[in-house]
Amino acid sequence: MLFNSIDFAIFLPIVFFIYWFVLNKTIKIQNIFIVIASYTFYSFWNWKFLALIFLSTFTDYCVGLALDNEENKTKRKIFLGISLIVNLGILGFFKYYNFFIDNFIKIFSFFGQEIKPSSLNVILPVGISFYTFQTMSYSIDVYNKKIKPCRDFFAFASFVSFFPQLVAGPIERAKNLLPQFIKKREFNYEKSVDGMRQILWGLFKKIVIADNCSEFVDLIFNNSSNLSGSTLALGAMLFAFQIYGDFSGYSDIAIGAARLFGINIMRNFNYPYFSRDIAEFWRRWHISLTSWFKDYLYIPLGGSRCNIWLKIRNTFAIFLVSGFWHGANWKFIAWGAINAIYFLPLLLTNKNRKNLDTIAKTRILPAPKELIQMLVTFCLTVFAWIFFRANNIDHALSIISKIFSLSFFTIPNFDGREKALELIIIICIFIAIEWLGREEQYAIARLENKLTKPLRYLFYYAIIATIFFFGGIEQQFIYFQF
Amino acid sequence: MKKFLINTFIFILPILIVTFPLDYLISYYLKKSHSFSGELEVWNDIYEKKAGCDIAIYGSSRAWVHINPKILEDSLKYSVYNFGIDGHYFWLQYLRHLELVKYNRKPKVIILSVDNFSLQKRIELYQPEQFLPYMLYNKDIIKYTSSFKGYKKYDYYVPLLRYAGKRKVLKTCLRFFLKGYSKKNFREKGFVGMERTWNSDLDKAKEKIGEYKIKIDPKTLELFENFIRECIESNIKLIFVYCPEYIEGQHFVKNRKQIINIYKKLAIKYKLIYLDYSEDEISKNRDLFYNANHLNKNGAEIFSKKLAHDLKLYI
Repeated sequence: MLFNSIDFAIFLPIVFFIYWFVLNKTIKIQNIFIVIASYTFYSFWNWKFLALIFLSTFTDYCVGLALDNEENKTKRKIFLGISLIVNLGILGFFKYYNFFIDNFIKIFSFFGQEIKPSSLNVILPVGISFYTFQTMSYSIDVYNKKIKPCRDFFAFASFVSFFPQLVAGPIERAKNLLPQFIKKREFNYEKSVDGMRQILWGLFKKIVIADNCSEFVDLIFNNSSNLSGSTLALGAMLFAFQIYGDFSGYSDIAIGAARLFGINIMRNFNYPYFSRDIAEFWRRWHISLTSWFKDYLYIPLGGSRCNIWLKIRNTFAIFLVSGFWHGANWKFIAWGAINAIYFLPLLLTNKNRKNLDTIAKTRILPAPKELIQMLVTFCLTVFAWIFFRANNIDHALSIISKIFSLSFFTIPNFDGREKALELIIIICIFIAIEWLGREEQYAIARLENKLTKPLRYLFYYAIIATIFFFGGIEQQFIYFQF
Repeated sequence: MKKFLINTFIFILPILIVTFPLDYLISYYLKKSHSFSGELEVWNDIYEKKAGCDIAIYGSSRAWVHINPKILEDSLKYSVYNFGIDGHYFWLQYLRHLELVKYNRKPKVIILSVDNFSLQKRIELYQPEQFLPYMLYNKDIIKYTSSFKGYKKYDYYVPLLRYAGKRKVLKTCLRFFLKGYSKKNFREKGFVGMERTWNSDLDKAKEKIGEYKIKIDPKTLELFENFIRECIESNIKLIFVYCPEYIEGQHFVKNRKQIINIYKKLAIKYKLIYLDYSEDEISKNRDLFYNANHLNKNGAEIFSKKLAHDLKLYI
């Protein structure tokens, strides 16, 4: 079930109504209902994979309880090992099996050993990378005694499977989300209105920005050999907006939908394209994953408080693993490596935490220097996105070689160029709205403080009309494949 | 909670109120459009009960651009209408038949243009916009278009939803709304002669695809046979016509003979007339075509006269 589908538009109010009006007596019943609703939501893709969610839930629930009752260090390590083996095992098999098999075959054939390929037709279960990371973080936190284990199975199952963030995050931490399933939820008018507004903004980002960009991005990337450097550069830039609109749109809908149920989910995006350097970009892009890797990989490896070589190793580790997390393909690893290369100079010169505040905080427009910094960061990001979007590394390299040719200085030329112009105008308006709202959780948050009720309603109706008129062809969310 | 529900309702209410009128308005103006190869003009005639005729011509674009009803009318002295539907095979040709007999008097004679492609089925719905103004709650359209990749189930039931994101359609409607629309039709009684010269489609296709085999869709074949029985039961005289096809293009489809044999066998089985022009002199003259499957305006005129002459023997 896609967030931008009628199925979800029917599903969400029904679940909302039952949750608040029928099953509002006890938290336990509400939690059981959340689990049922979440499993129903997931079964719209493939009900068979519900077993994997249940396995991951059950394992980490038991591991949590076992860790609580055990003080012996070796046994505690074994319990944590069980959680890691189960979760990473599920992930490894479904996501990386064929990748490893194919690469082993290539390595052996390089040394003259021919091996018969035995790749399996493994279907990647939607959301597997998200919920396995979420449950694993719970076991690691319990192991490190940062949190107490959850004894209520349904509260824990709700934490793992909560439908707004089940299939594409944000990857929540038990410390933030789990307590919310244990204490009684009260309906809050302001919170719910805010949730609705964030859903609307998320839909706009997904349907108008991402889905429209997708049409041109697919056209340009699929015909890259026949197109000029300028057209390919435009395609890469549109992909930057596609992936932002798609994923941050998804996150907005997830956060907004969760708020309707009295649950606060962590923020996942903080206007990343207004970043002044790559370090700032990574503090603002896919925050839940970046912070996950920081907490559970980068810091345990020593973080930045170590010698220069370890700093380099740790930086590459976090970016390469992050790239590999996205998919079983060398292009994602290359994407991670490029970002590591971008990040390292800042880290080594201690400039990685230079830009921590909001850009042009008290001003309407950025200073020229800030503008240049933003543009440079954006261009670097777009360059890296080419690897992310291309079919493979060779494809990415062929696109880059064309971009860095004389054909870059020609006018972009492709089918539907006029329609693309319309889209670029919409993107400009979108950037302006995001810029004006850059200090908020999402661009149109707290609108009640800025506009009168009639104007506010008018603005909402304008967004709905834009979605209706300019909406692109319905596409699956990009991050579902991860 | 009460406040939230009331405010949500107040917010949604205007949207609900405008949904039906807006749907009606967009559909109204879209019907006036002559785009989509003039398909909407034919659908309008059908739904507005203006398509009743003695002789109905069915088929794909090979009916639409080949058989001029005016020439047939002059020669046979019957009213004729060409219901050829561009880019669609028998599955949707049958939908048009169904709607025709539902809203108009049934024809006495049906001339069905059959060809290599009639019995296959597309995956995607070609020119889906032509169904937009008529598809809301229309059971026949739902039945015959929902198996294609085109519309989602809610598009057939939720007003306005099917227009979401259809920028081209909405712009057309807006233009008509603001500037008015042209009353001059693209088609005349469903027909339009193509003033085109021979293009390189065949050479390009040969180079790109080479020879290929057409996959016959069993359900379409079943529907095709049911249609024959339906015509016999309704006392409608059914005539199969294989329109001219440029001779060099005939080697393109590997199983062409097998497909033609299906029509021949069905014609024998149900005692139908089958007129085959695929080896006629017209099929050997490239100047009469604009591509291997389609006659140009001049070719269509020559063929229509020939067909009218031959039909005199049977009608």
